[in-house]
Amino acid sequence: MTVRKLEGTQTRLLQKIKESLDRLNDKMEVIIELQKHSSPVNPDIPDVLDVMTLLSLPDHLRKTAITLCKLEQATAEEVAEQTKRARAVESSYLNQLVMMGYLKKERRGRKAYFYVDKEEVNKTWQKS
Amino acid sequence: MAKIIAVHSYKGGTGKTLLSLNLAVLYANRGKNVCLFDLDFRAPSLQSILAVKSAEYWVNDYLNGVYDIKKVLVDLSKTHTKRGSLLVGFANPSTEAIREMSAKDRKWEMKALGRLLSLKNSLLDDMHIDYIILDTSPGLQYSSINAIVSADLVLVVSGMDISDIKGTQRMIDELYDLFEKKTGLIMNKVFADFLSSKGHRQDLARKLIDSKLPVVDMIPCYCDILRTGGTLLFANDKPDHPFVKILDRVATTVDKL
Repeated sequence: MTVRKLEGTQTRLLQKIKESLDRLNDKMEVIIELQKHSSPVNPDIPDVLDVMTLLSLPDHLRKTAITLCKLEQATAEEVAEQTKRARAVESSYLNQLVMMGYLKKERRGRKAYFYVDKEEVNKTWQKS
Repeated sequence: MAKIIAVHSYKGGTGKTLLSLNLAVLYANRGKNVCLFDLDFRAPSLQSILAVKSAEYWVNDYLNGVYDIKKVLVDLSKTHTKRGSLLVGFANPSTEAIREMSAKDRKWEMKALGRLLSLKNSLLDDMHIDYIILDTSPGLQYSSINAIVSADLVLVVSGMDISDIKGTQRMIDELYDLFEKKTGLIMNKVFADFLSSKGHRQDLARKLIDSKLPVVDMIPCYCDILRTGGTLLFANDKPDHPFVKILDRVATTVDKL
C-alpha cells in the first residue's frame, strides 16, 4: 500500500516535471524565433490582426494568420491540416506571429493553443 | 456547393446592389436558401430598395456583438421569392449609425472580421443556407475587405471607364490574389454598340482577356433599368428582360467557379 502510494506520488511528480519542461520548451521556441529575427519588435506596430495588417504580412505568414482567424483557436497541427504545410513550419510561423504581438499562445495540458483574441474565443451575446 | 459571394467594385455606382439583389432573388427562385447582407455601412440602400418599412435590428447590431444573427435577418421569402427562401440583413441607414460605423477602430474591425467569418458555421452549416451574398462598399476599406476575406468568391463589378478598369485590375493583383480568392469580373453598363455586332464583342472580349481579367459576363447599359430608379425588382417583375436572362447565366457560371 505504502509502496503504491509512493509510486503514485512519483508518477504525479514526473508528470508535473514533464509539463514544466513543455512550458519551458514553448518559451525557448519564442526566444529562438526572436534571436533568428534579431531586429527588435517595432513598438509602432499595433498588435491588432485586422485586414490591413493581414495585407501587410508576408505571404507565408498571411496564410497562417487567416487560417487561425477562421479557426478562432487552434494548435499548430490543426492549422497545418488546413494549410497543407508541415506542422513544424506552422509552429514556427505561429510563434513568429505571437512574437509580433498579433497572436496569443496558451498551453492547456500538453497542447499549445494559438488564438487571436480571448474575447472572440469565449464569445457571448449580451442580449439575444 | 454552399458558398459566400462578396460583390465588390473599385468605384461606386457600378451596380453592385442591383446585381447582388437580383442574383439573390434568382438563386432563391431556383429553390435555394439565400441570405443577402447590406455591408455598405457608408451608404446603406437595400432597405429603401426593398421598401421594408421597419427593420428592427441591423447587421450593425450583429457586428457590434449585441444581437445574434438570427435576430437580425428579415425573412422576405413570402413577398420576394417564388420558391426557396430569402433572408436579408439590412445596414442601418440612419446618419447616426453611419457616423458610428465610420468611427470604428481597428480592434473593432478585427472582431467584425471574426463575426463575418463565423457566418460560415452559423448560416451555411446550422441554418442550411445555400448562398450568402455580401453587398459591399466600393474601394479598399475595412468593411469591404472584411467581406472579401470572409467570402469564398469575389464578384467584382466594373464599368467601362478606364479608371474603373485599371483600379479593378489593381484590386485583383493586390487584394483578391493576396487573399487567394477566386474572382469573377462582371463588366456592367457596357455600351450597346460595343456588344451589338459579333466583331465588336469579340474585340472587346479579347482586350479584356489580354489584360488577364477573369471576365464572367458583360451586361449592356439598359436605360429602362435606370428609368425605374430602383423601384422594380427585375428578377421578379420583369423575368423576361434581357438583364435577367444575362444574370441567370451569371448565376449558373458563378456556381461553377
